[in-house]
Amino acid sequence: METWRLLRTFDAEPGFNMGLDEALLEGTDERPTLRLYTWRPAALSLGYFQRLAELSPVARAWPLVRRLTGGGAIHHENELTFSIAAPLDHALYRGEVAESYLRVHARIARVLATCGVVAEPRGARRLDSDDDTSAMCFHRSTSIDLAWNGAKGVGSAQRRKAGRVLHHGSIKLATSALEGPIATVADAGTSLSPAAFAERLVAVWEADGTTFEAEEPSATELAHAQARAGWFSSPAFLERR
Amino acid sequence: MRPNDRKYTKSHEWVKISGDTAIVGITDFAVQELCSGNEGDLVYCDLPEPGRTLEAGETFGEIESVKAVADLNTPVAGTVAEVNVAIEEHLEILSKDPFQEGWMIKLSPKPKNLDELDLLDAAGYEEHLSAEKH
Repeated sequence: METWRLLRTFDAEPGFNMGLDEALLEGTDERPTLRLYTWRPAALSLGYFQRLAELSPVARAWPLVRRLTGGGAIHHENELTFSIAAPLDHALYRGEVAESYLRVHARIARVLATCGVVAEPRGARRLDSDDDTSAMCFHRSTSIDLAWNGAKGVGSAQRRKAGRVLHHGSIKLATSALEGPIATVADAGTSLSPAAFAERLVAVWEADGTTFEAEEPSATELAHAQARAGWFSSPAFLERR
Repeated sequence: MRPNDRKYTKSHEWVKISGDTAIVGITDFAVQELCSGNEGDLVYCDLPEPGRTLEAGETFGEIESVKAVADLNTPVAGTVAEVNVAIEEHLEILSKDPFQEGWMIKLSPKPKNLDELDLLDAAGYEEHLSAEKH
């Protein structure tokens, strides 16, 4: 059994969400941390290198933040967001980035299976949700993305810094205003709140051999998140590209 | 065997002294980790402006593959003298030739002798990679 730290921070403000993930990335805890969270208000996050101008005017009207991780824009609505922060030499993240995705996605697929969803890596096929003209993460796919019903249902991206990794992911429980016909847990007729899906995830990972120690963010992490919250939605960061 | 005319870091950067200049790049292993052999998976590289002063270990840029953003750290302190801007437009250079054409920055280094620094030679880097894989 391996012990992980577990944080549940639901309905947090978008900038705070990014600030807390930054605190976890820059942290020193040797235990991997799994953070499960949601956003209030619902917001749109840009990838670290994504151009703000790629977003449609409709998308830009939502509360915006820029992530530390790469990839496309995500509309954080009707989803469970997760982040994993761990040392880069952890067995989940050692070696090639693509292999680490496959390992994390395999764990998520086992949770989705309990909802009646058969999620698999996309492989070589093209998805119905792919749209080369869209700035949205769920409209772009790679061979290692999790898909079902011919569409992408989990978006994820990593940041690697100073020997640690931050892995962001969005698991869609239902679609959002900006993402349209993507794969969701609701497709399988399973209607779950983010909190209910989070408990399933924890239960499945525990059954797979992980012991979770549920904690609150530390005072240091909270102070970091609060101090940095404004930066992630600031014009200086949003308009960096 | 990787070139033995330079030093390496455990985070997969290399540095080579040429005259009064330190040339810095990333290894083939770093590139492979990011893109698994698919050179098209490298999508962006952000390098510093000349004139910037860096401390050893400081982040001088960032590289993005389809699935990860990673920091680029300099093994040596110094002032950025020249940047390989060709990489920003042609990231495939990093897959094809990370040790020569794929250099990233040239520094006027503070230390002129790499032996003073805690860096790995080619054999030490190979050993580190072997240990990391297990």
